[in-house]
Amino acid sequence: MITLGTQGKNTFLEAVNVKSGANVLECYQCGKCVSTCPVSQYMDFPPREIMQMIKLGLRNECYMANSHWFCLTCSACSGRCPREIDIPAVMEAVRHLAIEENTINTSTKVKEIRKFHQIFLEMIKRYGRNYELRMMAEFNIRTRNLFKDMHLAPKALLKGKIPLGVKPLKSAKAIKRMYEIAEKLEKKK
Amino acid sequence: MKKLTYFPGCSAHGTSEEFDSTLKLVLKTLDVELEDIPDWNCCGATSAHVMTENLALALPLRNLVLAEKLENTTMGIACASCYQRMKVTKVHMDENPELAKRINTTVVEEGTYQGKVDVKSMLQYAYEDIGLEIIKSKVTKPLTGLKVACYYGCLLTRPKNITQFDSPEYPVSMDQICEALGATATEFDYKTECCGASFSISNTEVVVNLSGQILAMAKESGAHAIVVACPLCQSNLDMRQPDIEKLQGIKYDIPVFYFTQLMALAFGYPIDQLKFPKHIVPVEGALANIGKVVPVPEKIKKPIKAVEAESEVK
Repeated sequence: MITLGTQGKNTFLEAVNVKSGANVLECYQCGKCVSTCPVSQYMDFPPREIMQMIKLGLRNECYMANSHWFCLTCSACSGRCPREIDIPAVMEAVRHLAIEENTINTSTKVKEIRKFHQIFLEMIKRYGRNYELRMMAEFNIRTRNLFKDMHLAPKALLKGKIPLGVKPLKSAKAIKRMYEIAEKLEKKK
Repeated sequence: MKKLTYFPGCSAHGTSEEFDSTLKLVLKTLDVELEDIPDWNCCGATSAHVMTENLALALPLRNLVLAEKLENTTMGIACASCYQRMKVTKVHMDENPELAKRINTTVVEEGTYQGKVDVKSMLQYAYEDIGLEIIKSKVTKPLTGLKVACYYGCLLTRPKNITQFDSPEYPVSMDQICEALGATATEFDYKTECCGASFSISNTEVVVNLSGQILAMAKESGAHAIVVACPLCQSNLDMRQPDIEKLQGIKYDIPVFYFTQLMALAFGYPIDQLKFPKHIVPVEGALANIGKVVPVPEKIKKPIKAVEAESEVK
């Protein structure tokens, strides 16, 4: 059974509104976002339902959903929303709050999506730029899926589509420093 | 001679090297000199903003601050994703002083953000700063007979309040550029649908599905080729095309060009400079249509900007 979190203040709604700069209460549940969303079919709660769950203060249910991990931030929904709500920003706010409170969907797909983003950020921290080949290799190793996309490799490598190396930044230290400061800012809130 | 600050983006040295090199050819013809941002860094792309709030703004900010040290007032960005991250950061920094103060602390060594530099995608730069007339005047080998579906993806025109360029629903800038080159732009309804973007590696199933729909619609529009201005769209539509064909059991054979490749071709650059061998889907079939007579001209498009048309309705 779902218990409503609205006894008194809906702190979840407030947190999402502050973080996203949107006003979720403006949503009148028309569902245009769902029909527009290219990935709503993969979400366990499509955007419209997430909006309503926020209004009801269902913090945990929202955090545990896979929806905000599947959102591609393509902004098709917000472009068509009759209330002009920045829905991708709302999704992003829910995702960031879920990360902060370490309450995250545990499905394999979400794990893989997160792993990809983590590896990408590690590449930038290390080289200042993305090292595509290494990123793909690390992803395959760390998701224990060694042969994923291997059928593409011979063609892509032979054609020089994916280069073997990366030109690291001269000021690679500057990037590491930025990471450290950004991490501190992240903790401050 | 015009000067332009250039942000190539990581993929320019990798998967979209052909975008970068043909862009340079085209701008040489158009008399624009590029000045690279010295020691630029990755904008963080999708991953930074998915995972963190501050780093997602800090990474692009360093490039904006470095760009302000150069003389030019406009920054041209090749990659659509870099463009959007840079523009998002610029808009946030300009409009939210409290946030600007906070994020500025991450780039103290490089300087302080002043908001002097305008950020444009290369498509926007070609359309607004160079203009169709000048592009048309440089064409020596018109692409008559080639029918193209212009695919913009999500990031070049959306969200509207951030990008402030063309229409978020039915943009026409690339179509008009292609027509200036002599090609025919088809009525293509999936112009701004998402290709699956960063799920290319982590969630391939989604990309195969979404990009498959785009290929199907492009084929239905009668196009010989798709034209893009985004490296990720290109690699999803081109590199994943064999997978999509296998899954759907349909042979598409639609090459995916960068708009700069077609521009360079029409400007008369020899074909061996256009990096066509890098494409996974062979381009020869589509290019064979150049020079053939188009039977009946398709629906003639009025050269209006879709944004203006929209505001009139309101």
